[in-house]
Amino acid sequence: MNRSFRLLAALTVIALPSAASAQAITGSIVATADISTVFSFGAPTGLSFGNITPGSAATGSGYIPLSRNVGVIYSLPDGATTGRLVGPGGNLQPTYTCGVGSTSATIVSAFANCNAAGAQLTLVSPPALLTEYVIFNGSLAAGQTNITPGTYTGTIRVTATPN
Amino acid sequence: MTPRTGLHALFALILASWPESAAGQSKQTVSIIPVQSLSFGLLLPGLREAVSVTDVSRRAVVALAGDGPVDVALVLPSAMETSSGDRILLSFSTSDAALLTASGTTLSQLDPLQVNRVQLGNGRSILFVLGGTAVTSATTRPGHYTARVALLVNHPGT
Repeated sequence: MNRSFRLLAALTVIALPSAASAQAITGSIVATADISTVFSFGAPTGLSFGNITPGSAATGSGYIPLSRNVGVIYSLPDGATTGRLVGPGGNLQPTYTCGVGSTSATIVSAFANCNAAGAQLTLVSPPALLTEYVIFNGSLAAGQTNITPGTYTGTIRVTATPN
Repeated sequence: MTPRTGLHALFALILASWPESAAGQSKQTVSIIPVQSLSFGLLLPGLREAVSVTDVSRRAVVALAGDGPVDVALVLPSAMETSSGDRILLSFSTSDAALLTASGTTLSQLDPLQVNRVQLGNGRSILFVLGGTAVTSATTRPGHYTARVALLVNHPGT
């Protein structure tokens, strides 16, 4: 009988449940950020031919900065009348050279045309955020300025489209 | 008592002490419930953006519930990435984690770079919050960047 009790006690010991088991668990946290597209014109500097003596040639230069981190397509919505001046003597259409430069002083990438509609210059996405300058250099021939005195003004419109 | 009676008594004693089911065992359970992501938002190239643990709308929040002491450790990524492999570096400081009550009261500052011992109790949730700093460069390209922080919760001794 003692042997039976000992056997039963042994079975009981063996069959006892194990100690409570601890638990390890994992979760995750998501981190997010969005880098925005930078594409904006800055403040322009107007193009002025100054005070012109009738019958004299004149030149002027103006620009507008564009900051971007994507490609761009430049176009001229006014086409042939881009930068036309209007005043007491009617219309006055300067001749322009135009394009884009890394500074406001020098055109590095010229537009295909400065007085035609449609896309004039396409630039690829830059490796880093940059600011470039859309530059218009205008000239008036002597014969053009022999007109009615007064103030002649106009607007050069440039469209920049993200590419 | 006869020997047979004694055996019956012993069997009864064993059966009475046997756990009825697995649920009757003493088991320490902890739950992790993500509440909010770490959101740096819309960033500009070339700038650093820090999210502090007090930034209610942008900090990460995870609810922890359970009983007893637990060790909380993080596996922190070095950067967020886009699907095309562009990266924004991430950094975490010693003050970029904290423990809050469910109502938002700060219980303690935690160091996300270390293993932190946290006391859970009475099955009530506490909030683990995480901040961090994103560092963009001028060459960081537009896009949606993501990363995952692994949260490891262990009972001491495991």
